Amino acid sequence: MHKLFVGFSLLLISALGQATDLDWPTVEQKAKGQTVYFYAWGGSPEINNYLRWADKRLSSEYGVHLKHVKVGDIAEAITRLAAEKTAKKNTNGSVDMVWVNGENFKSMKRYDLITESFATQLPNWRYVDKTLPVDSDFSEPTLGLEAPWGLGQLVFIYDTENLDNPPTSFNELLAYAIEHPNKITYPKPPSFHGTSFLKAALLELASDNTKLYMPVDTQTFTAISAPLWDYIDKLNAVAWHQGKQFPSSASETIQLLDDGELDIAISFNPNEATTSQQSGKLSDTTVAYAMKAGALSNIHFLSIPWNAAAKEGALVAINFLLSPEAQSRKGDLAIWGDPTVLAPQHITGSAQKTKLFKSIPEPHPSWQAALEAEWQKRYGH
Amino acid sequence: MNALLKSVNSQSVASITFKMVVLLTVIISFLPLLPGLVGLIFSAFGYIPAIDQYTFSFTGFNTLLAWPGLDQSIILTLFVSIASTLLSAVCCFAILQSCWHSRWWKKIETLLAPIMALPHVAFAVGFAFLFTPSGFIARIFGEQIHWQLIHDQYGLGLIVALTLKEIPFLLFMSIPLLKQLNINTTLITAQSLSYNNAQAWQKLILPQWLPKIRFSLFAVMAYSISVVDVALIIGPTQPPTLAVLVWQWLNDADLATLPKASAGALVLSLLCLFTLFSIRFAEWLITVKCKTWQSNGRYSLPIGGKSIIIVTYLIALITLPILLIWSFAQRWRFPDITPSRWSLRFWQQEWHYLLDIIANSMIIALVSATIALIFAIIVHEHSAKAETNKRRLKVPRLLIAIPMLAPQLSLLFGIQVATLYIANQYYYLWVIWAHIFFAFPYIFLALDGPWRSYDQRLDNVALSLGMSPFKTWWQIKRPLLLPAIWIAWAVGISVSLAQYLPTLMLGAGRISTLTTEAVALSSGQDRRISAIYALLQSITPFIFYIIAILVSRKTGSLEQQSAGSNHHTNTTNSAPNSSSTSTSTNSRVTTRNVSISK
Repeated sequence: MHKLFVGFSLLLISALGQATDLDWPTVEQKAKGQTVYFYAWGGSPEINNYLRWADKRLSSEYGVHLKHVKVGDIAEAITRLAAEKTAKKNTNGSVDMVWVNGENFKSMKRYDLITESFATQLPNWRYVDKTLPVDSDFSEPTLGLEAPWGLGQLVFIYDTENLDNPPTSFNELLAYAIEHPNKITYPKPPSFHGTSFLKAALLELASDNTKLYMPVDTQTFTAISAPLWDYIDKLNAVAWHQGKQFPSSASETIQLLDDGELDIAISFNPNEATTSQQSGKLSDTTVAYAMKAGALSNIHFLSIPWNAAAKEGALVAINFLLSPEAQSRKGDLAIWGDPTVLAPQHITGSAQKTKLFKSIPEPHPSWQAALEAEWQKRYGH
Repeated sequence: MNALLKSVNSQSVASITFKMVVLLTVIISFLPLLPGLVGLIFSAFGYIPAIDQYTFSFTGFNTLLAWPGLDQSIILTLFVSIASTLLSAVCCFAILQSCWHSRWWKKIETLLAPIMALPHVAFAVGFAFLFTPSGFIARIFGEQIHWQLIHDQYGLGLIVALTLKEIPFLLFMSIPLLKQLNINTTLITAQSLSYNNAQAWQKLILPQWLPKIRFSLFAVMAYSISVVDVALIIGPTQPPTLAVLVWQWLNDADLATLPKASAGALVLSLLCLFTLFSIRFAEWLITVKCKTWQSNGRYSLPIGGKSIIIVTYLIALITLPILLIWSFAQRWRFPDITPSRWSLRFWQQEWHYLLDIIANSMIIALVSATIALIFAIIVHEHSAKAETNKRRLKVPRLLIAIPMLAPQLSLLFGIQVATLYIANQYYYLWVIWAHIFFAFPYIFLALDGPWRSYDQRLDNVALSLGMSPFKTWWQIKRPLLLPAIWIAWAVGISVSLAQYLPTLMLGAGRISTLTTEAVALSSGQDRRISAIYALLQSITPFIFYIIAILVSRKTGSLEQQSAGSNHHTNTTNSAPNSSSTSTSTNSRVTTRNVSISK
């Protein structure tokens, strides 16, 4: 009888363990006192400051400490997780929460580095704008393995004092570059913004861009990408430093725009010009705009590794970051200016002023690696 | 009788304890080499459990070779490291030749510490602020510079920056070596044969200096081959140096690049080995094989050491005020010479967090440098004993140098995997251990000269007078070597403070120091915030150097101390207490000798 009881309760416990429904009060209870190590890009003082604010709020309200682990590239965290997977370190891992999208998410999913589906069970999920493509990440289904955090759009920034009529298509951009040698460039692939520039250009130049939304194969790649390489050949010849050198990141293009070395900078934040003006990085005469065809758009996400030590803390933190309060502050033009993933009616303050450009969805992630490899082969050395 | 037995017993106990301590030291300081090397070699040949690969293969090497631009990257890496090592050696020698014991030598020597203290990353940030086409120099001249020194194709900017940064290190390491060499006698003898100063230096002192500075040159060479952080900030990008490539591959989201990365890390180690041999070979050519230049008459190369030292100091010191201005700038657009809007906001914003980070960096540095210092002293003591007693096993110098010579990236990769299998959550333990491991050879090197010039006869006298070995060490040797110990401690602290990869890889990114923050922030290119971190990064080790210098002054400066111990080796007067009284006359004599020889 006793044995039976033990067996039954074990069964019950394991059933509970597998249950997909989150019992939120329990989660909050367990989260209390946990420290969440959040691996996120650490290059922007604005973002770092926002996360410090989030830590303060989370500590006072939920007793959860959010520790921002500043990485130069989030892939550093992914490699670390892979190493822990190898060492069979299935609990008490070093990473509790990561900021990912696209290729990194694909890697995490492929090597089983993510905890079970959680996003749609968060209490604040109800505020999320379901008309946005929040369930796919670079056409990879998210299956609730990551929760949306913000929205990115590939935009260009120029200074109205130097330039009245910015080029609004990639062909016009080339014409401008030929007319003004040494003033236009793009970040070096395989950096995130560099590859995005290639993708955006390809979407405009390809004869049939529906193929870009399907997995790539060698034959279609050669045929479809031919006009892009022709374009890049011409652009590099007149680009900044004649294409022998490229900026390492979008942030560097912004610095170079301010230094007067470039005429057009690049960013994935449609509010970048405004926030950079507020912090003193750019002049008040700068403006962000998108190409006529629209802006390459994607959503960036938050996820929790399978072996996270503070899983409940991470859930509470992510839920908080999805709250109208946190999202309104994130969208605040004086703070970070990252567009919200919540339905507009939940947003307050200057974040309401964010105007999104017409969006172009991201191509299938397999194109990313193919474009990067080809660029490297042609121009990377 | 009983008392005698007792003393013999206690002596053997002491000697066994000492042997155990040496053994422990060796284990702690060299153990990481094993997993480091094993992990590296296994993964380079395809055995990578992380991606479910359990068979040995050459896939990594094949994909590495197929990578377009690999050959350029290797050539570039070799060019940068050979050129910067050669240049810094030549410049260092030129400075020694023209300034050694000149009127302002004392000032040069005092000023070496602050320049040495400037961490590579902070220096690179400042260097970039100076030399970008819209940098401070361009602002002064009012138009953009069209030559390119930052991220340039041939790595010239990287070479210049590394050279400037290594000259003070080599100078610093040369001081105790030259003090052993009896430069003045050599110069006077040469002069009597009517050779001038430059000829005497190049024909007589160079062949003696070169073998002694060998290990320092090795360190410089190995550093320049495997440096990641500095190369990321100012190095070429298309293609980057091999170390940067390997670092990028190691951190690729696509784990399938791991075999390529590990193969690259192994190639990096081989390149390093190759260049180290080439230094040794060049040294052999110059000093043993082709000696005709030494006796081919009175020809000497004209090299202007004074201008080199001025440029070195100027560039290094001018970066500090520029960093300071940037840290208070709200808006500073090109080509304005000063910011148009100033602000305290970045300091205010960071201050609260900075205290934590500074405390963190300092605690790690203090703990690891102190432990490494104790280890270095133990190993030196052991070597000194082995010197007199041939039966004792010596700790091979090459083994000591390995952490300094092997590319960090290659070693750390293996160590990181090993820590995962043990218990990787002891982040601080692993990071401190790694810092000890990497700081140890530098401290050892810094103590090398003073330890060698210590007169063993002082110990013999003390021991014959019935002092116990430990008492002899504590009361006679330690006070004499204390200034050198202080400086070595500061060297260790600055090495620890500058560690980027070990802190990041073994601390899982959780342990933030000024250096890791500085590099993470540099990816965002915000000059104002980078400036704050670079500035603080420069100031912290500087403080320790100042403390070390002040304290060593109190016990007699390094210069006086070494001159003092030199004095003992040269003369028969070996009473320990005479050093402080005899030094002043000694150094006066020295300066006079130089002025005569000119």
